[in-house]
Amino acid sequence: MSPVERVEASLVLLYAASSLLVLFLLIPLVSLYLRLSPEAMARVFGSPVLASQVRDALATSLAASVASTLLLLVLGVPLAYVLARREFPGKGLVEAVVDLPFVMPHAVAGIMLLTAYGSRGLLGPLLQRAGLRIEDSFLGVVAVMAFVSAPLLVDTVKAGIASIDPMVEAVARTLGAGPVRAFLDVTLPMAWRHVAAGALLAWARGLSEVGALLVVAYYPKTLNILILEYLQVYGLPYAVAVSAAYAALAAAVFIALRRLLPP
Amino acid sequence: MIAVEGLELRLGGFTLRIDRLVIERGEYLVLLGPSGVGKTLLVLSIAGLMRPQRGRILIDGVDATRLPPERRGVALVPQSYALFPHMSVRDNIAYGLRLRGVPERERRERVRRIAELLGIAHLLDRRPSTLSGGEQQRVALARALVVKPRLLLLDEPLSSLDPASRANALQLLKKLHGELGFTALHVTHSLAEALYLADKVAYMEGGVLRCVCTPRGFLETRYARPYLEEHRLVEEALREDGG
Ligand SMILES: Nc1ncnc2c1ncn2[C@@H]1O[C@H](COP(=O)(O)OP(=O)(O)OP(=O)(O)O)[C@@H](O)[C@H]1O
Ligand SMILES: [Mg+2]
Repeated sequence: MSPVERVEASLVLLYAASSLLVLFLLIPLVSLYLRLSPEAMARVFGSPVLASQVRDALATSLAASVASTLLLLVLGVPLAYVLARREFPGKGLVEAVVDLPFVMPHAVAGIMLLTAYGSRGLLGPLLQRAGLRIEDSFLGVVAVMAFVSAPLLVDTVKAGIASIDPMVEAVARTLGAGPVRAFLDVTLPMAWRHVAAGALLAWARGLSEVGALLVVAYYPKTLNILILEYLQVYGLPYAVAVSAAYAALAAAVFIALRRLLPP
Repeated sequence: MIAVEGLELRLGGFTLRIDRLVIERGEYLVLLGPSGVGKTLLVLSIAGLMRPQRGRILIDGVDATRLPPERRGVALVPQSYALFPHMSVRDNIAYGLRLRGVPERERRERVRRIAELLGIAHLLDRRPSTLSGGEQQRVALARALVVKPRLLLLDEPLSSLDPASRANALQLLKKLHGELGFTALHVTHSLAEALYLADKVAYMEGGVLRCVCTPRGFLETRYARPYLEEHRLVEEALREDGG
């Protein structure tokens, strides 16, 4: 075999492997819509009971994921700033803690949250005194979503801030800006793409969570939980009907994300 | 007048120790020294961007040692210029004035005047990313000078310019200093910059000041030798070429 032929042979392998994976990922999306039966659609979205269930679940999913994202923005952007700009003892440990939810199996994450903030958990009594409860509550849904998506927001924003020349902010300080003002005037506008991308990633991640929700807050039902329930109770066509609608929403998020992500 | 007294800054394995450095009002001090000897750390300490463990920094008679950067009245032109990329040139220059609450009308006037002085009036509506290195350098200088700082800190401000732009910038700096009379601490590796601009030359090595003297006096010290060596090599090359 000549070297050129050998190169061509390896090219074939390269393309074969690549297209196999692409197909593996693409076929489910196509098949979902192929399986979509107008009948089941009509029965889900035509029934006042089922349609309102879907509407409520969608509202819960959207409201909780938006709330979780806003919470993460308020708390996570400052954390990302500190991690990007400051050196302190134990920084590696803090970074590990932030990334922990990333590697935790979802059911385990749910159990962890229960043992920490559940009514019989470590801080349960304290939360109860404040009238807060995570089991089967909207707050619980938000807590779960914030827990699993925190690393995405913090890491994305951290990378953005770390890529900015610190002297830009330093110059703003010397020109008369306090630390907060310099951050708002200079660093934040320079990092906004990363902040937006991080927020979108965190939102999408929260929206897609189901494992930890099964453990902590089955109610109020999110759309993911409802899809699982429909699959068990009514069968695949009903689950497909709701999934198809949800997939379209997820795809819209994905497209927005692709446009916002720094090239 | 700027005075640094008994300054000590430890960072990693490095120690910066400045027993005494004085820059008189209106004086242009050029700081020379090899790479990694603490020139930038000294600049950042004076600006309040680094916190020394010991010592005092006096700015126009006020003890600024514990003041945050925004209250020192010191302006900085870093090597990277660090322009605000999301603002127009005009907003870059006006930023310090806006923070000082200078009214819109006066702000416009002062921005216009400094921009004319630096020959960048035609660039005011551009974004920094569309400017050449020399233009960016002048914007950074305008942004620093427009607030009439008590001290202008320049950290290798000309080192990324081509020779022609650098020569232009040198003349511009000299002219500006003559007209505005600001006090300056200018860090550089170039003997030409030092001799052309400086009222006083300081030389640092290993985290300490080795000498502070007149430009002419500096040439007599052994610290000037490496700088002169470069010129000697040029002369030698020219001689060989001619003979
Ligand atoms: N953030 C930091 N952490 C640890 N060490 C540092 C830090 N910043 C600077 N140093 C060290 O301090 C010493 C002085 O650095 P500095 O930047 O002041 O040098 P310099 O004289 O400005 O050099 P150059 O001419 O190359 O700009 C160097 O040895 C550098 O490695
Ligand atoms: Mg330096």
